[in-house]
Amino acid sequence: VFSVHMVGEGSVSICRSAGKATSSPAENYLLARRRTLQVVVSALLTESGFESAEKAAVETLTEMLQSYITEIGRCAKAYCEHTARSVPTLSDTVVTLIEMGFNVDTLPIYAKRSQRMVITAPPVTNAPVTPKALSAGQKRTHPAHIPSHFPEFPDPHTYIKTPTFREPVSDYQVVREKAATQRRDVERALTRFIAKTGETQSLFKDDITTFPLIAAQPSTIPYLSALLPSELELQALEETDSSEQDDQTDGENTHIALDDPGADKENSMLPPSGVVPSTKASEDNVIDNPYLRPVKKPKVRRKK
Amino acid sequence: MNRKKDKGFESPRPFKLTHQVVCINNINFQRKSVIGYVELTIFPTVVNLNRIKLNSKQCRIYRVRVNDLEAPFLYNDPTLEVCHHESKQRNLNYFSSAYTAAVSAVDPDAGHGELVIKVPSELWKQGDDLKVLKVYIEFSLDQPKGGLHFVVPDVEGSMAERGAHVFSFGYQNSTRFWFPCVDSYSELCTWKLEFTVDASMVAVSCGDLVETIYTHDMRKKTFHYVLPIPTAAPNISLAVGPFEILVDPYMHEVTHFCLPQLLPLLKHSMSYLHEIFEFYEEILTCRYPYSCFKTVFVDEAYVQVSSYASMSIFSTNLLHSAMIIDQTPQTRRCLAQALAQQFFGCFISRMSWADEWVLKGISGYIYGLYLKKTFGVNEYRHWIKEELDKIVEYELKMGGVLLHPTFSGGKEKDNPTPHLHFSIKHPHTLSWEYYKMFQCKAHLVMRLIENRISMEFMLQVFNKLLSLASTASSQKYQSHMWSQMLLSTHAFLKSISNVSGKDIGPLIKQWVDQSSVVKFFGSFAFNRKRNVLELEIRQDYTSSGTQKYVGPIKVTVQELDGSFNHMLQIEENSLKHDIPCHSKSRRNKKKKIPLMNGEEVDMDLSAMDADSPLLWIRIDPDMSILRKVEFEQADFMWQYQLRYERDVVAQEEAISALEKFPTPASRLALTDILEQEQCFYKVRMQACFCLAKIANAMVSTWQGPPAMKSLFTRMFCCKSCPNIVKTNNFINFQSYFLQKTMPVAMALLRDGQNICPKDVLNFILDLIKYNDNRKNKFSDNYYRADLIEALTNSLTPAMSINNEVRTVDNLNADVRLILEEITRFLNMEKLLPSFRNTITISCLRAIRQLQKNGHIPSDPSLFKSYAQYGHFVDLRIAALEALVDYTRVERSSAELQWLLSMAQNDPVHYVRHKILGMLCKNPPFTKTTDSALCNEALVDQLWKFMNSGTSHDWRLRCDAVNLYYMLFGLTRPSCLPLPELGLVLNLKEKKAVLNPTIKPELGVGAFNTMEDEDIDMETVHDSQAFIHHHLNLLERPSTPGTHTHTHTHTHTHTHTLPNPLHKHMAEHRRATSTGHLGHY
Repeated sequence: VFSVHMVGEGSVSICRSAGKATSSPAENYLLARRRTLQVVVSALLTESGFESAEKAAVETLTEMLQSYITEIGRCAKAYCEHTARSVPTLSDTVVTLIEMGFNVDTLPIYAKRSQRMVITAPPVTNAPVTPKALSAGQKRTHPAHIPSHFPEFPDPHTYIKTPTFREPVSDYQVVREKAATQRRDVERALTRFIAKTGETQSLFKDDITTFPLIAAQPSTIPYLSALLPSELELQALEETDSSEQDDQTDGENTHIALDDPGADKENSMLPPSGVVPSTKASEDNVIDNPYLRPVKKPKVRRKK
Repeated sequence: MNRKKDKGFESPRPFKLTHQVVCINNINFQRKSVIGYVELTIFPTVVNLNRIKLNSKQCRIYRVRVNDLEAPFLYNDPTLEVCHHESKQRNLNYFSSAYTAAVSAVDPDAGHGELVIKVPSELWKQGDDLKVLKVYIEFSLDQPKGGLHFVVPDVEGSMAERGAHVFSFGYQNSTRFWFPCVDSYSELCTWKLEFTVDASMVAVSCGDLVETIYTHDMRKKTFHYVLPIPTAAPNISLAVGPFEILVDPYMHEVTHFCLPQLLPLLKHSMSYLHEIFEFYEEILTCRYPYSCFKTVFVDEAYVQVSSYASMSIFSTNLLHSAMIIDQTPQTRRCLAQALAQQFFGCFISRMSWADEWVLKGISGYIYGLYLKKTFGVNEYRHWIKEELDKIVEYELKMGGVLLHPTFSGGKEKDNPTPHLHFSIKHPHTLSWEYYKMFQCKAHLVMRLIENRISMEFMLQVFNKLLSLASTASSQKYQSHMWSQMLLSTHAFLKSISNVSGKDIGPLIKQWVDQSSVVKFFGSFAFNRKRNVLELEIRQDYTSSGTQKYVGPIKVTVQELDGSFNHMLQIEENSLKHDIPCHSKSRRNKKKKIPLMNGEEVDMDLSAMDADSPLLWIRIDPDMSILRKVEFEQADFMWQYQLRYERDVVAQEEAISALEKFPTPASRLALTDILEQEQCFYKVRMQACFCLAKIANAMVSTWQGPPAMKSLFTRMFCCKSCPNIVKTNNFINFQSYFLQKTMPVAMALLRDGQNICPKDVLNFILDLIKYNDNRKNKFSDNYYRADLIEALTNSLTPAMSINNEVRTVDNLNADVRLILEEITRFLNMEKLLPSFRNTITISCLRAIRQLQKNGHIPSDPSLFKSYAQYGHFVDLRIAALEALVDYTRVERSSAELQWLLSMAQNDPVHYVRHKILGMLCKNPPFTKTTDSALCNEALVDQLWKFMNSGTSHDWRLRCDAVNLYYMLFGLTRPSCLPLPELGLVLNLKEKKAVLNPTIKPELGVGAFNTMEDEDIDMETVHDSQAFIHHHLNLLERPSTPGTHTHTHTHTHTHTHTLPNPLHKHMAEHRRATSTGHLGHY
């Protein structure tokens, strides 16, 4: 419905400059574009027979037009970048329009319609200059194997690592000694803290502070904490042989993905604690196990 | 032999059960109740079947119908209250016989039952065609105390979210606790089982799950199971809960179930089950008999493993992650046991209680074969030795264990085990300890049979039994084949003789028909002139638990020229045996010495007696007699045996023997074994403890650092800094176990002042300090627990100056360090709990030891808090153990009361059982000691407990009986006042008799006059009468109108207890035994 080609190239700059509307030349630039859009809207309204329009209505239509164009711009840019180019071509725009549900074939006819109004081009304002970013250090030049049209290296401080280190204590005995002491101190501090802040038991009637024992609290499901490995242990295990672990979980995931969709549907009717997550089997995924079979509906009694 | 030469199985019932439907419509977790019905299809085998006796306990029965006709019924359970309230007996002899009578009165194997249904007369006259009867019973259970166990954690959320579950349990045939049935292992039928449960739950039961159907409101679903293989009611079970389901990745017909969140553990723990399956199927050359198998892991389990037809229920505590080392073999063993029992015990059932040993024996035996295959021959032989030592120790202490008791009426035979305080006539009257030993002996005897007829034949016999059963199982009831699925001693022995052609009669007579073990004493002398070894083997067959052995015995002699086996005959009067030696040559020629296994080794022979070519001698090396051998040979011979004999059993025997020879040579031999990596790790572990003992005995002459210290340093500490232990790496299990054990043994070292050397204590503290598990693939919880145990072992009694009160200030410096560690460990465990709370358990033991040794004030409150419901069960048991010990040491009546009340009220059956068991092991007082705790109130309390408080759990009742026996003995407890009147005049018979309250009642005889043929179904409510009535019926054919039971009991006691009172009673008994007792 809208005439696009007039402002097509502006869309990118609109969205880009929207963020920094503080500098006044940029503001001017924006305002000028916006005004042109308003004129376009008004012209279209007139063209379709409106004699007058409320400001709010025009404003809304302008907003809609602007976001439509912006979207075309964004999308076209995305398409072009997808194909590793930096400037959108006509076909990018066409694909975008198609993607947005616009019938491209109607466009030439619409553009050549007789009653269309000609609008003056927006006043030429200089595009706002982006202030140069503060550069630090000497930028690296491209090595020979990188073509010169590739982007430049960023500032060195963004990628150069300057380690600050002390000579590590390499004496094994001292390291072990330190690790042991540290762990012991941490444990003691932690347990003392917990003991201080909670209930305690004592081995001595007269002195309840020297050897404070955190009080024994019965739990509702005691076997869980007693049987399941603690997170700390699991972590340690992952660190020691993460490769093995990964293999396992991968295998499982692929299996679940392969699972019969029908069965999944059946299972999804069950409450979460039910059967679903536990299905595991070897390669052939057609397991005939009565506990995995769907639960039947009442009355519909099929013969087994 | 009076074994029945039976042609087949004769049912004690006038009907045969063919099919049973069990339908449980509603399981209410909130109220812990169950509603359902059963329908039994029975074929009368007599004309005019007018009564049907079934078993049922604690079920409320709403209605009974027979073929749609309402039927009157009588429900009477004499085991509810064994002796009636008016009785002031309090004497265990009396109780035991009354209890046996009560159990007999409802014994399904004798055709009895608690539930007597009168068949409507309309159905009587079907004599000619003996039509099928359908007995339909509606019942409910409300808060069952036995049979079914509800676990309902007290948290927010729906029952499924809370992990609430329920499962069946019981000791032996206990199915009657949760539905009416014929609760006998010999009454087989097919089953249809239906359970309607909440939609979020799964009901796991026996047989094939045919379908699962929602109820109309879609909130519940019904699980339909069909079990087409004839199965006895005691092998039926049920587990319902929000289980996570794991289909075995190797065998899709096997399904595993565990409680929410434990799935990763389940996956790991079940990952080798298929290997066990394959193993059994291969050796038995027989498919697993059921079409599916289910394992269910539940909390608060009654026993670790229980097997039922096509499913097993395990304790959830068997599940473990891949990080845990110590639990892994234990869990595998449990799985293997469960599976062995699937074949023998579930699929093949026993014909009668007297045949139990065959099934337990075979399942235990094939389980042993599995152990041999999986864990190796060393482990297997070690296990056999362990089991043999156990049974020998038990029998020598408690008297014989009889595998195949016969009760065929003769007076001597009536009580084959007079040394026991319980009857072995029924499984339900046995003490748990006895039953465990019974199973142990059964599998050992199977091994003896194997030794006799070879394993090949043995497996052929099993295969034959299984194929017979399997053919029978697929037949219809009408073919009368089902009894092939029942195994009797007779059938088993017949099969053995058919397959092997060998006569194992003497073996069976010795170990199966007779109780007790053999005790050998051996010594030898070498006769140089004749070059003959003069071996003397004596026997002790007079003390309790021993029997005389006559027959072959193998003796292995290791000489310089090699190892030689000799078969000797143990005969009545010959003690001495001359064995010619082969080696004349002296050892001047440096020659390698050939061992039994063909290996040839160099030995340093300088320690030997120059005149004798004997290196070592072993009596019965293959353990083919159930015996204890005490053999005397010189210390150097034991040392050679330890170093060079390749059999682990010989090595272990040598280690035990070396304890008596604290010499540098023994020290060297033990240290060498410790270092030898090819040596079996359990032998090395045992060597650690022996070395500690030797070091203590040699304390004044000991050279060098404390025993094992330098060894440990070399094996496990850093090269650069020998005081720091390497970071943990448990990838080599042998050295892991050694690393765990050595500190524990070292802590037992004592110096001249009999305290643990400072060196050793600091060494252990350093191990704790530098323990670093970060790079380890495995958890170090057991290792750390053992380090705490080491600290505990280092404790010695405190120097106490005139009983001062223990305070923090006067704490010994070493103890302060120990306490520091324990506190930290105990507190850290609260934040990062270890697997099965092993560390807390060790800490609790350490604290109790500190208390006992007087380092810190003795106080039970800490243990009490850990003993509460809601802690992990292992932890509770450890705390209770400490409390039991406290009770004994401090003679605390308050604590005893606390324990007993927990034994009566705790929700967890296993804990209740354990409390009584631990009280028996470590009793607060015994029948021979005086104690202020022993008073009338306690007698009454315990009596009441075993009399009526434990009717829901056979095992618990027997535990209570055991405890009563331990505390008060068989006769009237000494703390009870004598009854006021010693004599009572009997006017009718014109003579004075002892007051009947002092002596056992003549229970059976007293009711002789009762109208016995027909009880009035409406009026009989007196269960005592009920029992006696049935007893009369039972005993009439063989011994009309007598009361042989009580009679023999008292009779034997006149011999054992030279108590004038008793003699008097016995006299009186003889006088009055024929008449009825109207003198009340």
